[in-house]
Formats: sequence, C-alpha cells, structure tokens
Amino acid sequence: MTILVADDDPVIRKLFKKRISDEGYEVTVAADGAEAARLLDAIPFDVVITDLVMPGEIGGIELLKIAKEKSADIEVIVITAHSSVDTAVDAMKKGAVDYLEKPVNFDELFLRLEKISEVKALMKNAGDLREAMDVTESSAAQTIQNLEIINSNLLMQLERLEEILSDSHQDEFSRIEQALQFLESR
Amino acid sequence: MLTISSEEIKLITKYIYEISGIYLDESKKYLLETRLNSIAEEQGCLSYLDFLKKAKADATKAIERKIIDAISTNETLFFRDTGPFQLLQHKIFPELIDARASKISSLKTSLKVWSAASSTGQELYSVAIVLQELLGDLSKYTIKLLGTDISDAAIAQASSGKYNKFEIERGLAREKLTRYFTMSGQMWKVNDQIRSMANFRKLNLMLPFTGLGKFDIVLCRNVAIYFTLEDRKKLFNKIADVLEPDGYLIIGSTESLTGICPRFIPKRHLRSIFYQLK
Repeated sequence: MTILVADDDPVIRKLFKKRISDEGYEVTVAADGAEAARLLDAIPFDVVITDLVMPGEIGGIELLKIAKEKSADIEVIVITAHSSVDTAVDAMKKGAVDYLEKPVNFDELFLRLEKISEVKALMKNAGDLREAMDVTESSAAQTIQNLEIINSNLLMQLERLEEILSDSHQDEFSRIEQALQFLESR
Repeated sequence: MLTISSEEIKLITKYIYEISGIYLDESKKYLLETRLNSIAEEQGCLSYLDFLKKAKADATKAIERKIIDAISTNETLFFRDTGPFQLLQHKIFPELIDARASKISSLKTSLKVWSAASSTGQELYSVAIVLQELLGDLSKYTIKLLGTDISDAAIAQASSGKYNKFEIERGLAREKLTRYFTMSGQMWKVNDQIRSMANFRKLNLMLPFTGLGKFDIVLCRNVAIYFTLEDRKKLFNKIADVLEPDGYLIIGSTESLTGICPRFIPKRHLRSIFYQLK
C-alpha cells in the first residue's frame, strides 16, 4: 500500500516517514497541501494522511477534496488537534475514512491502515470475481441470444410450412411443391 | 448459529415461495442459514420451525418483510451490462419517440417505462440518465419511469436515491457520477432532476398487475431466473398484457423466452436482443 503524508512540521514528517516505512508501507511525504496535490497528480496513492491545518491555499480539507476527485478509492485519514474535533467530523462527512488526534498514536494509525488494507484486498477480490462473472456472463449471453434468434426463425419457418401444407384451397401436390419451394428459398 | 433440518428446509422454502414466488430448492441450505439466521435469532427463536410459526402468526407481516428483504438478491449496478442501455439510447428511445411524437406540437410526447424488478433503483436511474442525455430538454415530454420490487428495503433505498461508494462506483463513469450525483456525507445522492423522473413501489410479480396501465418499455432483467418455469410463463404472459402493441421488452442478457412465452418475438440489434409482441 502506498501512502502520502502531508504535514508542515518537519519533525512530524520525519517521524511519520520512519514509523510508517518501518511498518512495511511505501511512504512519501509532502511539506504542504500544494506539494501533496502535485504528488497526487503524478503518482497513484492508496492512502493520504494529512494534517487538517497547513499553511497555504490547500489545507487538509482541500487536499481531501482533491484526493477524492482524483479517485474515490484513495482513502484519506485526517490528523487534528484535540480542540478541533468538529472539523475532523466535518472532514469525515466530506469523505475522510477516519481521523486521528494529535499527538498521533502510531499503534492506532497502524490498526487503521491494516483495516484499510483489508478492505482494499476484499474489494480487489470482489472486483476480480465480478470480472470473471462478467466474462462468463457475456459469453453465455452471446450463445443464448444466438440460439434465441435461430430458434425463433425456425419456429416461424415451421409455422409457415404448416400454413402452406394445411391450405385446403390447394391440392396436396401443389401444397408439397410450394412447401419445397419455401424450404429451398430459405 | 441455528442449524436447519431437512424437514425445516422443505417448510421454509415452501413458505418463501408462497410469500414471494422465489423458488429455492433443497440444496439451498447454506443460503437459507446465512440469510435468515440473524432474523431468527433477533426474534428469539430456538429453531427454524419456531421461526416459521412466528413469521406466519405475525399479523403486522414485519417478519415476512424481513425475510423477503433477506432472501431476495439485490445484485444490481448502474448500467449493469452496457448492452441494454446502448439499445435504449440508439434504437428503442429514438424509435419510440418518432412513433409517439404528436402531430400537434403543443402536445407532449409521452413515454412509460417499467423496471419490473428494480431492486435498489440503479437500473431505473440509469434509464433516466440515458433519457436525460438523449433528450436534453425534458419539458416537451411526459416521462413516467416506474420501478417495482418485492423487497421493502430495496424500494426504500431506491426511493432515497442514496448509494454508498461501493454501489456507486460499479458501472458508473466518473463523468456521469459528478454530473448526476451529489455527495452527501459518505453517500452519493442522485440529483433531484433524475430522482423526480422515477417512482418506486412495492410489487410482488406473482400477483395480478392491476392498475399498472400500459408501458412502452418493460425491463424485466435477471428476476425470472428465481421463479419456476410455470411462474415464468405466467409472468411474461402478464407482461405481454401490459405492454403497448409496439412496445419493447428487455430481459437479462443470459435469459431466454424460448418455451416460455410465444407471444414475443426476439429481435437483434448489434449485440443485444429485445422482444416485441407478435
């Protein structure tokens, strides 16, 4: 799983980078929202962890929006000071998967990342199954639809033959002759 | 988890058939257990026999509704199988609009579409989106889109027009998502314009179709597969009764009407099939 961390505090950034990569995830850090947005544009990430309050035009909420517009599959975890939990709840309403309070408890973060990773694996599995089902379904559909048309045409020809052969205005010989002509012409 | 005896399977599948027309054979033990266990436990039942008695005795039919919600398969998605929607967009809607266009320009062209097993609404909203994109200004038309399903829960969700990200992402192109849906919390909500084109209500396809009126298009996809052959025959015969003489029927891409309803003739357009009355 690839993770992008956006935080303007260089010490926190370093800490995130070390702890998350020690845990076995690929991690990239950005010093502010603008840099994170540029990275999001260039590289596909699975998860974005962002501080809600960052200097510049792109704060945590804006970055969340950019990430979600890029792909709804990108999960965003926001980091917030204890005093601004309301903003974090607002971020979740806007599509963040979770929030963590400062100072970040890394065990807690890793649990969330594990959960996200599990869900993503399940989603991929469901996607693969769906793909397999679609292939089976469309190939079955072609076979069934061909048979359906062939069958319907044959039924109509049979009906026509019955009609010709049971036409009491004509003698048997001309009925048979007409039926043969119909069969030859089809 | 409660286990189900073979005697109970017989009784429960019979009961499910009676309330919904869904035919489950005795090999569906696992499906019954996984889908019914939580309702049975919630009702404090110690066995499935006990559960069945309770469901039958419940005059409010609340348990019956829960069983139907649990047992009906709500597998659907936006633009499930692109074939039928291309068929609607490039062939059926243009043909119908030509045929229905009034000679008096002040009269609105009317179109009635029925999604017979609409599940959670994705199919009917997909039809609404196709119509919106094809016709642009809808004020010149009277469009009635009806969605029916046997599950109350499915109808409730269809009416709310709200979908979670898993439901929404499957089948729906990003560009359509942002144009026709608005994010509200963790859910995506279909826009009022599209929402207002569709109506949803509960209907058991086994019962008579009284008061439905006639339709220009009926979509009855991937639902008859849960019915017995006899019930399929009855169903498509009733559909033939509510279809306009030049109307269109679309069934699931792997379904067939061979040996089921001789009143319909299959017709092919590109890679899809639709049916019309003889």
